[in-house]
Amino acid sequence: MIPLPILLTALVYSFILSLLAMGFTLQYITLSVPNLAYATIAFASTYLTLTFSLMGLTPYVTMPFAFILGGAISFMLYKFVSFLRDRGTSIVGLMMATIVFDLIIYAGMNIYADYLATVFKIYAGSFSLSEFDFKIFSFPAVLFVSGITSISLVVFFTLMLVKTKFGVAMRAVMENYNLASVHGINTERILSTAWFFVGGLAGLSGSLYPIWFAMDPWVGARMFISIFAACVVGGLRSIYGSLLGGFIIAFSEVVVTYLFSIYFPWVWAYRSVTSMVIAAIALVEMPSGIAGLIQKFRGGR
Amino acid sequence: MIDLIIDIIAFFCIYAIITLSLNFQQGYTGIFNLGLYFPIIVGAIITAYLPGRLAMIIYGIDSKLDFSANNAVVVSILRSKLSSDPIMSIMLLVLTMAIVALTCYVLGFLSAYPALKLPADYLALFMLCASESLRVIGMQTDWLAGGVMGITIVNPFWWLGGFSYYGMPVFTILATLFIILLYQRMCDSPLGRLLKSIRENELTAESVGKDVNKIKRTTLAFSFTMLGLAGVLHAFMMGAVVVGGYTRVDFSFWPWLMMIIGGTGNNIGVFLGTFGLVLMRRIMIVGKHYFWFLPFNVVWFEPILLAIMLMVTLIFRPEGILPEKSPRIKDYMRKVLKLES
Amino acid sequence: MVSQTLSVGQNPSLKENKPILIVDNVSKRFGSFYALQNIFLTVPEKSIVLLIGPNGSGKTTLINCISGVYKPDGGKILFNEKDITKMQIHDIVRIGLVRSFQVPAPFKKLTVAENLLVCGQNNPGENFLRSLNRRRWRVFERELVERMFKVLRTVGLEDKADTLAGELSGGQLKLLELGRLLMMNPKMMLLDEPIGGVNPVLANKILSHIIDIRNEFGASFMIVEHRLDIVMKYVDYVYVLSKGNLIASGSPTEIVEKKELYDVYLA
Repeated sequence: MIPLPILLTALVYSFILSLLAMGFTLQYITLSVPNLAYATIAFASTYLTLTFSLMGLTPYVTMPFAFILGGAISFMLYKFVSFLRDRGTSIVGLMMATIVFDLIIYAGMNIYADYLATVFKIYAGSFSLSEFDFKIFSFPAVLFVSGITSISLVVFFTLMLVKTKFGVAMRAVMENYNLASVHGINTERILSTAWFFVGGLAGLSGSLYPIWFAMDPWVGARMFISIFAACVVGGLRSIYGSLLGGFIIAFSEVVVTYLFSIYFPWVWAYRSVTSMVIAAIALVEMPSGIAGLIQKFRGGR
Repeated sequence: MIDLIIDIIAFFCIYAIITLSLNFQQGYTGIFNLGLYFPIIVGAIITAYLPGRLAMIIYGIDSKLDFSANNAVVVSILRSKLSSDPIMSIMLLVLTMAIVALTCYVLGFLSAYPALKLPADYLALFMLCASESLRVIGMQTDWLAGGVMGITIVNPFWWLGGFSYYGMPVFTILATLFIILLYQRMCDSPLGRLLKSIRENELTAESVGKDVNKIKRTTLAFSFTMLGLAGVLHAFMMGAVVVGGYTRVDFSFWPWLMMIIGGTGNNIGVFLGTFGLVLMRRIMIVGKHYFWFLPFNVVWFEPILLAIMLMVTLIFRPEGILPEKSPRIKDYMRKVLKLES
Repeated sequence: MVSQTLSVGQNPSLKENKPILIVDNVSKRFGSFYALQNIFLTVPEKSIVLLIGPNGSGKTTLINCISGVYKPDGGKILFNEKDITKMQIHDIVRIGLVRSFQVPAPFKKLTVAENLLVCGQNNPGENFLRSLNRRRWRVFERELVERMFKVLRTVGLEDKADTLAGELSGGQLKLLELGRLLMMNPKMMLLDEPIGGVNPVLANKILSHIIDIRNEFGASFMIVEHRLDIVMKYVDYVYVLSKGNLIASGSPTEIVEKKELYDVYLA
């Protein structure tokens, strides 16, 4: 049997990962540029969580601030990338532009960690905040918070896409950028809002991460593998596919690796490699991911 | 002072190999690869694993000792042996390079399998994630390359006595000169023209009778080989391997910046860009104690500086300092073909 | 069903020539849409064959099938008695069947000279190892440069050798496209709208180049073109496609007389 802590870890992880994967996919669809800074933007807010915890507040205070922080960085990144795109920069140049942001945020996180270390006399290079969490029915609160957050955000997002004028316009832009702008939709405003929203989501989910998991400035680079894997498995151009992909990757990273590690204990250390292997197989064997499979199944009937 | 200059030149050499290989892939053939550090890590890991153990077998050192677990002891024994055995030392170096070259050539060929199937941006992400995974593997596997703590390796120039720490840098400089010559020869030949044509339009290249897939495979295999050698040279020069240190920033993003600032598709420009940035970085690292008053480590300015320079280049000079230039046909005939007309 | 017999109109001497290209019952479909349906046609050696039809009738699809860009869903294509149906694009080029593109696709950041030089076949300097030793490829490259200058003169671009291909005008690009095909010493060329978007003077010049090339090198041509007023007087035989079907064939004079074809074109 799979022990409870492993299952809980898998659950919390999949809530966070699927939100992140959904955001990455959304940004990819809107600009056709993979955002290499995405994971780093998400985990920048973990240092906000750390700061609030050190100040004696509950880590959940961070959530609105994390949303704003992630959203603001993501918004600026959008402005920079779309500025370059309008000047005819190639896809290589645009991806480099996202790297620019990745580096700045990465350096900023490290500088802030050094600063915290001198102010609070702690080692901020790696930390976990699980001790600051409280319990609900003897389960850690972060389980409920991450679950409720991610489910309600997905529901909210779906409703927005279907019911609101903004959502309809956004779907039009995602479907066909040029056509939408010809039809008088203000693509610039829609996309920058979308990027703000998605960056906010990333920041929000990132801020919950250290309440359960150990955190260090390199988490972004490592988690990028899992996010990419989740998106590939779900289908790089499908929002709901990536949501599913997040769950699949999270469970295989935690539960499957755990099951293997019963017999081969050394396997446990290679969790993030598991997702890379899955991604590689998925890319070669089913490049359009689960979304593609579902479509095929529907089309076949 | 002389130490600093040798240090800078040797580091410049390593990066020159990396950026020229990148330029060969991206600037010439148009293969979008963000995972440059994959073969570099392979080279470093093999250098960490192989020569030490090989030397242990050759000298018949106590089999109860393990190169990784009893690293310090083993290395000091090997040092005493290798100090008086220049032939064995050089053989270890050459053998390691040969094995890495072969391994990376094969890996390059294998990596072409996804590379030719995927669109450019997927490929870049795939390579980046594959390299990051390899880094995680290297960090988590203690017996391979010492894991997180790293591992000390043999110096193939211990026999030089007082000059033993100059041996590797000088060797690196010579090896790099050779590699630069190779790349320059290739790029100035009809091959360079062919690779650029593939970058410009694959379908047209196909329809003038070029086997695009085969050429791209060979390009990847060749530049993987050179990158692997860069990994070997770097590892031997540092005298130790810490796989965790081969990060995407240092061994992929920096080379990319050097290439873009220098001039994508122009080897001389890339060379200059590499030199300028390596000089700047080494001076920053060497001079960091002048910044004692800052409440944080000054090395974190480095990525910010990198980011700002990249941003400025992308906005104002997307083609780099020395943009790509096609030779005039008369110059080509005179200089390369030795034709007078 | 369309007649498979070959009758060459304008140039009676071509009647005895054996076919260099045979398209045998070729079909191509995209999803459930048939772009080509059971096409039979032949091109005799040293002839210039014109392929016409309204937009979307499958002309470019046929060119793409012959040149290996698409694989047909059914049927066979024979070139010089060799089955090329499943061959790769570059292998088809190597046995002497080359093509141009409807929208010229040059190597934009290469000069005109380089655009032509890259078309040399079996260049030893393009091999990874042999490229390192200049002596191994210098002689070949010198001859290639010589031929390149000849081709430049033939297509009239001699003063553009050092211009980047991306900076050429539309008409010049068409000439470059033609020059690139010439560099490959082909047995047959498939030209997709060689005079599309070119002024009549230049268009006539391009077409008389094609006649010269045919007479001088004995190459065969299959041309897709809309501008019948200009092109008709240069060709030996015409095939008409409509909605993926071959609906008529004959000498230019025969085709011009068939009134029912005008309806197809106007519809």
